[in-house]
Amino acid sequence: MDPDSVAKAFVEHYYSTFDANRAGLANLYQEGSMLTFEGQKIQGSQNIVAKLTSLPFQQCKHNITTVDCQPSGSGGMLVFVSGNLQLAGEQHALKFSQMFHLKPTPQGSFYVLNDIFRLNYA
Amino acid sequence: MDPDAVAKAFVEHYYTTFDSNRAGLANLYQDGSMLTFEGQKIQGAQSIVAKLTSLPFQQCQHSITTVDCQPSGAGGMLVFVSGTLQLTGEQHALKFSQMFHLMPTQQGSFYVLNDIFRLNYA
Repeated sequence: MDPDSVAKAFVEHYYSTFDANRAGLANLYQEGSMLTFEGQKIQGSQNIVAKLTSLPFQQCKHNITTVDCQPSGSGGMLVFVSGNLQLAGEQHALKFSQMFHLKPTPQGSFYVLNDIFRLNYA
Repeated sequence: MDPDAVAKAFVEHYYTTFDSNRAGLANLYQDGSMLTFEGQKIQGAQSIVAKLTSLPFQQCQHSITTVDCQPSGAGGMLVFVSGTLQLTGEQHALKFSQMFHLMPTQQGSFYVLNDIFRLNYA
């Protein structure tokens, strides 16, 4: 599968899971995974999922505008996403950018080693 | 030097060089470096600098809003930047996000292996 397709498939899977069942993101992270969420640094799958499931909204919908990817060396892949995030009940969607560093698993899939999320304020 | 300080120093150096002498960015890239600039993929220091020096403006000023960094494994560092880009003569600044994957050089410095740039449109 070509890298762009892998990146696209990952992005679709990640945000569908996020929007439907945030706890389901747990198997995309491992112990050494790192998330920086709006400047807050979190490490390890458990803590990352705890952070994401405790975000102060019930429902949200990510709409993806751009996906760029590049190989990061040693089988890894960098994925750079921009889009907007609609929170249920809010009038205006938030704009965001996010980067993922994916590493291959022995099962032939990918997990997220690095994850950095930033809102893009007007 | 702590990673956050390294990232900050790199970002300052990168954008200062970009804003004063784009050709001077050449020694921050190597043969295997990759740039994706607004979706266009470019490889190698020479081609990357050719692209950056041919951008359709004489002068610009980057103003950095946020810098996040994480170790990428194997001594590498991921740096995620957001800010604004003021082109001389334009009334409104452009918003952008950019990610760098820095790898250590033998001289104890860093070079850019991966570089992805996107404007954040309103």
